Amino acid sequence: MATEAAIDTPVASSSAPAPAKRRVRSNLTASVILNRSPIITREPTPFETAYYDYQARIRRALHNPFPYEFYFKQGSLLEARFNIEETQRERNSFGDEFVGQSGSTEVKEEDKKAAEQLSQQEGEGEVIMPREHPADVSGDVKSLDRAAERNLYLLVRAKQDGKDIWRFPQGGVEKGELLHQAAQRDLFAECGAHMDAWIVGRKPVGVLKSQSNSTPSEGDEKFTFFFKGHIMAGQVRPQEKTISDFCWLTKQEIQPRVDDHYWQNVKDMLSDH
Amino acid sequence: MSAPSTATLKRAVPRFGRAPKVTKNLRKNSRTLLPQPHVPVVIGDIAPCRVMDHYYTTLQDDLMYMTYKHETTPRPTREIRLTFDPSDPYTKNRYNPPVGGSQIGKKPAPPVTPENVAILERIQIHTMIKEAIGSRQTLLPAIMAIRALTGETYKGGGRHTSEGIQIVRAKKSVGGWIRPGVPVGIKVDLKGPAMYDFLGTLVDFVLPRLRDFPGVVLPPQSSSVNSPSAVSGVVSFGLPPAAMGFFPQIEVNLDSYPKSYGMHIHFVTNATGLGAQNRARALLSGFQVPFVRK
Repeated sequence: MATEAAIDTPVASSSAPAPAKRRVRSNLTASVILNRSPIITREPTPFETAYYDYQARIRRALHNPFPYEFYFKQGSLLEARFNIEETQRERNSFGDEFVGQSGSTEVKEEDKKAAEQLSQQEGEGEVIMPREHPADVSGDVKSLDRAAERNLYLLVRAKQDGKDIWRFPQGGVEKGELLHQAAQRDLFAECGAHMDAWIVGRKPVGVLKSQSNSTPSEGDEKFTFFFKGHIMAGQVRPQEKTISDFCWLTKQEIQPRVDDHYWQNVKDMLSDH
Repeated sequence: MSAPSTATLKRAVPRFGRAPKVTKNLRKNSRTLLPQPHVPVVIGDIAPCRVMDHYYTTLQDDLMYMTYKHETTPRPTREIRLTFDPSDPYTKNRYNPPVGGSQIGKKPAPPVTPENVAILERIQIHTMIKEAIGSRQTLLPAIMAIRALTGETYKGGGRHTSEGIQIVRAKKSVGGWIRPGVPVGIKVDLKGPAMYDFLGTLVDFVLPRLRDFPGVVLPPQSSSVNSPSAVSGVVSFGLPPAAMGFFPQIEVNLDSYPKSYGMHIHFVTNATGLGAQNRARALLSGFQVPFVRK
């Protein structure tokens, strides 16, 4: 309920028909770098996998004796299953010769069948969800399920000075308004209230200075302050007519879409992971 | 990484998955007759750690942004004045503390930099067993349970810093109750991936299943911000004996333990200075440990 209220407020203020009364500070802009955190663990590199395998084998070779009688009743089905699985793990780690040498007891056929049945009952044979989402296969950049092990950032396509550009959601700052409040209001004004988003902290994480080349003077400097945000649920629904498109991209995918000056200023605020 | 190098890596690496052929046998220990490696073997990580990854990919950045304080001018340095004039021969070799007393609880937090963002250093689990004062063998089931819970052993994995489950002994004499040196409880320190695994288990399996547990209760607003606990960067709370049965490591054979034990858990972070405990709480709530106001 609390989150709903938090979402509703900025919409009410953005849809309130009083933009004429508001005094907008023309040289200040608040922008939100809306982030979708990784939702699955990163896949280890081949080197990491090899390292983990190696360390696991040392650990298996040197571990303390396992107290079978403490964990299993003598001759129980669970013990039989554990022994079968343990033999398999030993075989995977040290090879067939080692398992043969260590004189492991022959597993009875009925034990094997019963253990298999038990593991099926516990749903062990079920297919694990693939790490790749259909959105990855189809190249759907609007999906929040794509690139599950990476940080994704929201980029919107907006009309600015008569041409379409890609940028982070942004908007003006009103007189007397705090920057982080402006950032949140502008985010919901551009991207709709159908998402559960949270602005991290009250301080900007970066600033972009821009100046029109034609008349370089003091008053012309424009500042865009960036805030980090997280999306928890929901999806973007472009609200204003100026926003024609949006996409969720990783850091590397953002670079070709934005202009160089913008990229140089925002790249260090984005995560490489 | 470019494509060809990845391909060569993939081809080169899988031989580590299997044990290499033994070409030369290890020297045997003369006493135990067991093969003895010629280097001390220290076991590294055996799997990626989900909760630790979460800290480094998401939490660390957020905590830095949330706790950052913009300081435009350099901090004033504190002039330390000694109680006695050090050049006075009369007070030479006399204990000469600085004027102003202890600065604990008054020191401001160090400036937030990417290097000193709050991070979990260790988790200490501590259980007091009253019956152990009378008969010390009652410690054994508790040791077994905590060992199953944490997997820590003395010098486990070849790490000389791993102290395993330690026995806590009484320090003071309390009339008619305890004498110094009597074992009263056990404790264990967790670090590294084991620590994050424990935290993940606690948050995913135990806390959601506890009855009537809205969260760790925060101190009232009026509580002192200068107290040692408020500036030490440690967050502590206790679990009732019923919680032990919710740990999956214990749940599989709960009947094997004569009784359940409650425990105190201390989350030790690197946060120091004023407001350190609040920063430690912010870190823990990032790991989804719930906090509530009374």
